Amino acid sequence: MRPLPRPQEPQPVEQIVIGGATPRFAVPECVPRRNDEASQAACRTLTQVLRSDLRFENLFQFVPDSLMGAIPPLDPQAPRFDDWKGIGAKILVATQAEVVNGEQTVELRVYFVDSGQRMLQRRYAGRAVNPRSFAHQASDDIMTLTQYKGVARTRIAFVSDRDATKERRSKELYIVDYDGFNPRRVTVNGSLNILPAWRPDGAALAYVSYRQGTPVVYLAKIFEGQSVANLSGERADSQAFSPSFSPDGKSLAFASNRSGSTDVWVAGADGSQPRRLTTTQAKDTAPCFSPTGNEIAFTSDRSGTPQLWLMDDAGLNVRRLTVASGNYNDGCAWSPAKQHSEIAYTARLEAGGFDIAVIDLATRQVRQITQGRGSCEYPSWAPNGRHLAFSCERNRRWEITVADREGRSFQTLATGPGNNVQPDWGP
Amino acid sequence: MTLRSLSRLPGTSLVLAALVLATACGKRPPALATATPGETDAARDRAGRIPEGPLPEGPDLRPIEGEGTSGTDIPGGGYPGEGGPLADIHFEYDSAALSDLARAVLEKHALWLQGQRDASVLIEGHCDERGTVEYNLALGEQRARATREYLLGLGVDPARLRVVSYGKERPLDPGGDDAARAKNRRAHFSMAR
Repeated sequence: MRPLPRPQEPQPVEQIVIGGATPRFAVPECVPRRNDEASQAACRTLTQVLRSDLRFENLFQFVPDSLMGAIPPLDPQAPRFDDWKGIGAKILVATQAEVVNGEQTVELRVYFVDSGQRMLQRRYAGRAVNPRSFAHQASDDIMTLTQYKGVARTRIAFVSDRDATKERRSKELYIVDYDGFNPRRVTVNGSLNILPAWRPDGAALAYVSYRQGTPVVYLAKIFEGQSVANLSGERADSQAFSPSFSPDGKSLAFASNRSGSTDVWVAGADGSQPRRLTTTQAKDTAPCFSPTGNEIAFTSDRSGTPQLWLMDDAGLNVRRLTVASGNYNDGCAWSPAKQHSEIAYTARLEAGGFDIAVIDLATRQVRQITQGRGSCEYPSWAPNGRHLAFSCERNRRWEITVADREGRSFQTLATGPGNNVQPDWGP
Repeated sequence: MTLRSLSRLPGTSLVLAALVLATACGKRPPALATATPGETDAARDRAGRIPEGPLPEGPDLRPIEGEGTSGTDIPGGGYPGEGGPLADIHFEYDSAALSDLARAVLEKHALWLQGQRDASVLIEGHCDERGTVEYNLALGEQRARATREYLLGLGVDPARLRVVSYGKERPLDPGGDDAARAKNRRAHFSMAR
């Protein structure tokens, strides 16, 4: 294969600024560099997944296929920009792919149509084990041209009973790509394994397992196939739930009953130096860190019903967050977005079912994300704060659902069989 | 993160172009990243390093037999959790308060335990499904603990009674109607190993 010309990236480059007119993308079909079926299949997957990835963030418009079919075929390395201008494209995403001996190569070129300027040129090579990953990488690289970080390479950890049997009602941890594809099993122990929480480096998950009887926090190092047991250092007669890492990955918050009632504790990421942050006899649980790590939201029923509360990371300055919205609020998830200061949670807004809600920390206004989708709970933010994953029960089956932060678009992830719950959206 | 992984793309023996990230208020100074030779590229990382299929658990983790608790059901009951010498006690919705009936049942349990000096019991707190995962785990803990404390007050040795919460994770009856929910709001007793 002939090497790519040494890319001469123009600098400074133009930017795709989101906020004014919605940028209009043309994403024509990938051009195979070879005529064999493997290369053509790689191109088909690349086109389909890249388009889906780019559509996901709802930031761009797209030139329809019918218009792209009306102009001469794309030369990915020397596009005729007048043709693309003629069908209204502002940004042209040209891709090529080939597969040689199981090794896949993808080339990506992104052009500004008006100026003919090449914004981005990338080449990706690797074993073609998961062809979708090439498109995800390309999509995230294209997103670097905007002010938003893409999430196409992110993964969601969740809990499923898909491998349970009548005799062994197990729940195990699984990981899927952000779009629900590529499910992989993490735990294999036939016990209850719940409440996964990504370590921010994406290499490990804290979770709660009952495999040794009482529930304690474990750390699954997913690339090493190793687990660390009892991360929070529970005694034989205490238990821990709801692990959650600080954004810098240095601290672990969790709920433990070692003091005699369920309280929020914080320790080092390795469980060292545990400190009790709440001291009431009420149930204090489900902690989540603010993006700075300086504040913690949690659930407490100290006022009579479960509500979200805030405190600083020393357990001081405790104040109630949810006041007007619902008589049962739990399961905070603090948005990581710089643009928004908000917390998603599970709320019983009407008698009976639960819905996902988001509270704006500045105005304390609450917006309801789900409505009439069955009972939904356990929200988790995408790393860029633009989407939420949660689980909803419909027709007596729980499935992972993804919605944008306004609650306008919803998609149910086809992660596989069984009840699929407790999503945690990772890096 | 993004720039670091970009810098590991193959064929990038070049200084990656500065990507000036436009923001709403203006442009930040360009960030530079240089390629590091010899590192695998990000695409290869994702396609190759993450194993397909099950991510293996370490050899230190073995599946535990049975239902995943360290206890076994008290023999003698018909339906697990009902009947037998240590029958379940039940709770109202979102409550860990012991009813008069629950107290009466626990008094019988205390008597039975006085006659079984070597029996250690694991008290499991369970909830119905009408609540959130995490709060129900705390509620199940509170139910189990309230049960334990009542038994302690009746003279049972604290060393013989441990608690565990299952929240709504393992309902006795997944039926989903009121009768099933009432069965699921319970403290269950199993023999600790």
